[in-house]
Amino acid sequence: MASAEELSAFLASVERRAFKQAQFAVRDADGALDIVQDAMLKLAENYGDRPAAELPLLFTRILQNTIHDYFRRQKVRSTWITLFSALGGRGEEEDSDPLETLEALAGSDGAESAEDKVERSQVIAIIEEEISRLPARQREAFVMRYWEEMDVAETAAAMGCSEGSVKTHCSRATHALAKALSARGIRL
Amino acid sequence: MNENEFGYRIRQALNEGAERLDYKTAFRLEQGRRKALAAHRAATAPAYRPILVPAGGPLLEEDGQVGWGQRLGLIAPLLALVIGFVGIYQWQHERRINELADIDFAVLLDEAPIDAYADKGFGALLQTNFDEI
Repeated sequence: MASAEELSAFLASVERRAFKQAQFAVRDADGALDIVQDAMLKLAENYGDRPAAELPLLFTRILQNTIHDYFRRQKVRSTWITLFSALGGRGEEEDSDPLETLEALAGSDGAESAEDKVERSQVIAIIEEEISRLPARQREAFVMRYWEEMDVAETAAAMGCSEGSVKTHCSRATHALAKALSARGIRL
Repeated sequence: MNENEFGYRIRQALNEGAERLDYKTAFRLEQGRRKALAAHRAATAPAYRPILVPAGGPLLEEDGQVGWGQRLGLIAPLLALVIGFVGIYQWQHERRINELADIDFAVLLDEAPIDAYADKGFGALLQTNFDEI
């Protein structure tokens, strides 16, 4: 059984990545924060008695399910979403030119004097943006395999699909991402 | 660049991006973590229930059965209470008989005070005694 210290250390180690993954999926910081908080609560309440070694895979599954639940709720409340998109900034964000985002990021990092740091921030922003544009299943597979460093079997178990599907999703995601980044002049 | 190398470089970039989260987001994540840990503590804390335990120890043995010693510990005080009540009743009954006997002797030996015969209560007492005899 994971102790409170182990659970705390685990959550601290994954919360930022979990937030980014949720943000890639829902493209909304507040929604992503709610998703991560829900996922952490579900893990602590329902699976807090599991061994610490099982927590990463469990949390990945819970996070993916919570993201899917978020989309289901959004679908049910589509009327409200339409209203929100019309009034809020999310629609503008989706339709906006990525270069504008880069300019804004460059402006926000203006206090940092190192030019390469700013450029790195821009590259990271573009990479994150392109990852969020990947199809959902490809993005999930790619993030789990290459960011969470899960093996093919673990990724397949977390996604509820075959290992062959995971490999296919990962391969397609890699090629699509490489092509998109290359088109935007990003060289890794 | 092969797929794994590409993935490694993307991972580095994503890790950097995660480390550069703004303060507000990091703070809210920390709050969420604290809530989850509080929920974990609540879920794993032992549930305390009030139970009656006799002075001799717990009611149940390790196998969940009530032991003979524990049963005796419960029955003995009850038995003592019943014996005590019976004893008190007998003692009071004996005392009343002795009182009545004293009065009878006093009447028979003509030692009862003369005022006693004028007392209605004494007459009623004698009448009761005659009825009982």
